[in-house]
Amino acid sequence: MKEIYYKVAGHVFALETVGNESIELDLWQYEPFVTDPTDDVVFRLKLSSTPIDMDNFNMEVVQEDEGQSINAGHIDEHPCFQFFLHGKLKGVLLCSKDYQQGEIYAEDCNLFGVNNALMVMYALATSNKLTALFHSSVVSYRDRAYMFLGPSGTGKSTHSKLWLQYIEGTELVNDDNPVVRILNDGTIWVYGSPWSGKTHCYRNVSYPLGAIVLLAQAPANIIRRLKPIEAYAALMMSISGKRWDSRLAEGLHETENLIATHAPMWHLDCLPDEEAARVCCETVVS
Amino acid sequence: MKLKNGFVLREVCGEKVIVGEGAETVNFGKLISLNETAAVLWNKALELGNFTVEQLADALTEEYEVNREQALSDVKKLTEGWQEAGLVES
Repeated sequence: MKEIYYKVAGHVFALETVGNESIELDLWQYEPFVTDPTDDVVFRLKLSSTPIDMDNFNMEVVQEDEGQSINAGHIDEHPCFQFFLHGKLKGVLLCSKDYQQGEIYAEDCNLFGVNNALMVMYALATSNKLTALFHSSVVSYRDRAYMFLGPSGTGKSTHSKLWLQYIEGTELVNDDNPVVRILNDGTIWVYGSPWSGKTHCYRNVSYPLGAIVLLAQAPANIIRRLKPIEAYAALMMSISGKRWDSRLAEGLHETENLIATHAPMWHLDCLPDEEAARVCCETVVS
Repeated sequence: MKLKNGFVLREVCGEKVIVGEGAETVNFGKLISLNETAAVLWNKALELGNFTVEQLADALTEEYEVNREQALSDVKKLTEGWQEAGLVES
């Protein structure tokens, strides 16, 4: 058995590998996040070589997005998640009730299954720690992070690319799954993570939040401030979590409410063009 | 009628909002704003379980200075809105 420790947005988690498989070769995207062993972890995930018996699986919620889907449910008292890619089962995650211990069975230790298990465990184990795993593309500019939100297919990555192309000094922080954390002093920080969708951008960096922009495709580039309720709705839609577990819902609500109250949040109707990036940048960068 | 399971009254940036947070409502996809009075009636409906327009109108006349006729009409309009939004079942 081998344990590897990772730190993402200041929270440490441990991955336990079994046997002799050389899966660490596949885990290069996690390498920037490797940290020293500690007992102070938010969760531990064990890679299991034994399939999980699904006879008593009770399904609660199905979440689908771009050919991927997660069936969330439970086996007896234990939360359980099935991960599918294009309809094919790639992994099963079984958790302890407090989401601090997990076991993933993924055939051939496939990375899709392991990534999904780690993301789900991370989101669940940090729900009550003023921390949220987002669905967003993020750039940094003048030492602040600018987050782009929107449903899949809206053009979040495209908008980041436009900043990179036309606004000098912009860098990509993460293209799909950044983490946002509210610190004790009330400041909101954005962190890169080992998960970034189709773009290989696994940077262990952090920036204070500059602004959050909800994107919508439109025939013209128009930007306006989001009303607080609209901002909250945009955050709900963009944050991963098990909202139907009332214990976790409280934490998610607290995080979302604080961000909606304190962060500058905007709505950008946009085309995929240079002007969109310029209008956005000139308005949201103060 | 009865409030559907999985809807939670939240305070969001100082406003009262109904949010879908249950396994059956987590993909509800919208937020419903309630004013102070509607929020009081929502909590009353929750407390009652099965409730009628008349019962909520009673609660309204107890809490606020409003005559019964007006209360009935207001509650009817409010609960019709809830029905339209899919927040209640019969």
